[in-house]
Amino acid sequence: MRSLSYVQRVSFDFPGTLFPHAICLGDADNDSLNELIVGDTSGKLHVYKNDDSKPWITRTCVGMLTCVGVGDICNRGRNFVVAVGAEGWFHLFDLSAVAGAKSDSSSQQEALFSDDQKPCFSQHIPANTKVILISDIDGDGRSELVVGYTDRVVRAFRWEEPTDSSDLSSGQLVLLKKWLLEGQVDSLSVNPDLEGLPELMVSQPGCGFAILLCTWTQQGSSEAGPGEEAPPTPGSEGPSRDVILHLTTGRIHNKNVSTHLIGSISRGSKGDSSKCGLFALCTLDGTLKLMDSSEQLKWSVQVDHQLFALQKLDVTGDGREEVVACAWDGQTYIIDHNRMVVRFQFDENVNAFCAGQYTCKDGKNSPCLVYVSFNHKIYVYWRVELERMEPTHLLRVLEERPEFKARLEQLGVDAEDREAVRELVGDTLYGHTLKKQAG
Amino acid sequence: MREGKEACPFVEDSFSRFLSQSNMYGLCQAGEQELLAATLKGKVVCFRYQDLQQKIRPVAKEVQFTYIPVDAEIVSIDAFNKSSPNRGLVVGITFIKDSGDKATPFLNIYCDYEPGSEFNLESIAQSCLNLELQFTPFQLYHTEVQCEDGCSETVFLLSGHDQRIHLYKENASLHQFEEQPVERLFPELQELPSNVLWLDVLSIPGGRRLSAFGCQNGCVGLALVDQTGPEIVQSWRVQQDSPISTVLLFPLHSRAEPADPERAGEKGGDDIEIVGYNLLVTSSIEMAVVYRDVQEYGVSCHACLSESDQCDAVLCALVTDLDFDGQKELLLGTYGQELLCYKFQQPMRGTEEQFQLLWRRSFKSPLLSIIYLDLTGDGLRELAILTLKGLHILQHSLTSTADLVLQRLADRGSKLTPGSEVQPIPERNTEERDAVTNEEQSAPLK
Repeated sequence: MRSLSYVQRVSFDFPGTLFPHAICLGDADNDSLNELIVGDTSGKLHVYKNDDSKPWITRTCVGMLTCVGVGDICNRGRNFVVAVGAEGWFHLFDLSAVAGAKSDSSSQQEALFSDDQKPCFSQHIPANTKVILISDIDGDGRSELVVGYTDRVVRAFRWEEPTDSSDLSSGQLVLLKKWLLEGQVDSLSVNPDLEGLPELMVSQPGCGFAILLCTWTQQGSSEAGPGEEAPPTPGSEGPSRDVILHLTTGRIHNKNVSTHLIGSISRGSKGDSSKCGLFALCTLDGTLKLMDSSEQLKWSVQVDHQLFALQKLDVTGDGREEVVACAWDGQTYIIDHNRMVVRFQFDENVNAFCAGQYTCKDGKNSPCLVYVSFNHKIYVYWRVELERMEPTHLLRVLEERPEFKARLEQLGVDAEDREAVRELVGDTLYGHTLKKQAG
Repeated sequence: MREGKEACPFVEDSFSRFLSQSNMYGLCQAGEQELLAATLKGKVVCFRYQDLQQKIRPVAKEVQFTYIPVDAEIVSIDAFNKSSPNRGLVVGITFIKDSGDKATPFLNIYCDYEPGSEFNLESIAQSCLNLELQFTPFQLYHTEVQCEDGCSETVFLLSGHDQRIHLYKENASLHQFEEQPVERLFPELQELPSNVLWLDVLSIPGGRRLSAFGCQNGCVGLALVDQTGPEIVQSWRVQQDSPISTVLLFPLHSRAEPADPERAGEKGGDDIEIVGYNLLVTSSIEMAVVYRDVQEYGVSCHACLSESDQCDAVLCALVTDLDFDGQKELLLGTYGQELLCYKFQQPMRGTEEQFQLLWRRSFKSPLLSIIYLDLTGDGLRELAILTLKGLHILQHSLTSTADLVLQRLADRGSKLTPGSEVQPIPERNTEERDAVTNEEQSAPLK
């Protein structure tokens, strides 16, 4: 298995502890460059920018933050930062304004900002949150907020506000639906279905997943006011009809093993025109799978590391996203659609992991791996780009170029004679060094 | 410390983690496309690229060299192919067997005489000559010498803590290596001022050679020797302030300026390019130094590699052409986990000629040894870097190197058929351009 050592990294100070979903990368201040957003167990929200080891912005929230997110949750065409606590407090921050103010602020204004630490909006939603997703889940082109709970419940919310309001305080989150699942939900994701419409997918223990149906799109909006789900019938076995459970086949040792899932893995510009999405699954006992929404298995990989986080990241820059899985001991796997594996060992135990685009030093987004260690540091490996996933050599790259064959013919070298071609290439590159030495 | 002018042109292709650490004598090339890396705990790893079903993959496999006890700690390793007409790979490993009360050093020389298996590492590893040493070994080095009968032979040179260098030469009749007095073949390597940490020998035209050694007490010795004899033509000593980690001899081409008619005239005609032999010296505290044109100036003319003392001790160095322009670059590997590349700047009128930092690259652990060789078998060489934690293979960016090769082949083609138009070759279409990753569409180097 190919193994690499990335070295370009920066470290951030992070004094607290965090939940594994209280970290994300996203454009928090709408400057098209991504920031790192981290929430800790004491309710502090930290936003890191560039390679500065101190947070660019900190905010205080109520309760233990279990999940953070960045997205256009209010459907206003710009991003807000969302922080949700275990106790059910939902906080909304608008950091674009701060970005403008901060750039021309002098030190005396710092005091003023400490006042301004409050969120733009807070609302109490049911408690015991675990994971959130900001995405369009019903295909209406508008973002919804999906929250996964520790009690096997998933709820979807929509931001609603009077059409003429510009102030956030007049809006609120409205519950769309509640789903009850059989097993713990470790990840929420959206994946295009066979028609290319978004489908809400959640992971289920034992390398399984469930598709949650957005039933409000079928019912008239007048019918059964949103959020008023029927109480589960006592004694009824199995999930309700709006949850379609899928168990993947294969070598699953433990059907209760914690499972993560990520969907909408980009196939890149070229290749299949098929609309159906790619998604990946990983389990704590080391199974990794890539499947498409027709449930066809693309590949499966078994590793002997405890995988606890699953992300997607385009490391080769070809538009196709690779699957990135991280284990507690820092072993990180990057796997492409053809099952080419590249390993990277982060040298510490990992508290939380995420991967994505981040702007570190060079003023533009680059693929990054983010590790939160257990000794109050966050490490960002930036520009983790690779020319290609597969080890290869120059002759193979040359063979892909049509003019190479023509040049060989012109020089009277047989393209099939590997040794002669090798000699020619070596001579082309180093030839005049050798000639000079001899001369 | 400043960044270099350019970005490192290499990308890492693989990293193999070793179970125990190695040292600056722990890496050698064995054969054309293989590397041997020795680690402290008596393990030797053979690294190569395996070609399987049109795919290559890096393989690091342990080789079981016989007669290395479990409690041995390997000090140095070296390997060479026998000089023709003899054939075969010879591997030498020095180690210290520490059985509690007394540590005993050994030199094991592995070599297979069975026809057909002279290059088979597995069988070579099983045929061992075990020599007990009376000194703690340091660098194990090999070089070619001229024998009385006119043919050449490769010998091992081993430096030790007894302030001597020991020579091991094959006794053809007995089919085994034996220690021979070093002064007969290397008169310049006797009466050394201190323990030699690094040795380098370079054959130069005219049947001569340059020998250089760097000592623990900071002394650098250099000698110009006539190989027939052999006899010392001239020798120099220079004292530095800290242990010398490496010494490397290398030629450098420089254009003679028209203002220097004497030297330009030597070669006559338009060919005014001159080759000077230089000595790179790296030490543990001081800046790395290049003694320029040693044949002419001895150790009197030197150029410093600025900022080479900023990243802790320099432990390893390599001089080779990394950008395919025919001029050699200087690579330094430091304990401060940095790889530094310097390039010789052609002296301009009025400016001092010097070596400038071209690029630098960080690593995860201290750098111990560097080799540049063609591991993948494609004519393009890779940079193998041994660090405290394992072996890194750095590859040139294949996309831009392929562009360069094609451009040079086109130049060649047009030279072949002078006057005639170069056969037009259709441009790659965009789809193929995508296939070879769009990352580097940089203009080809020179």
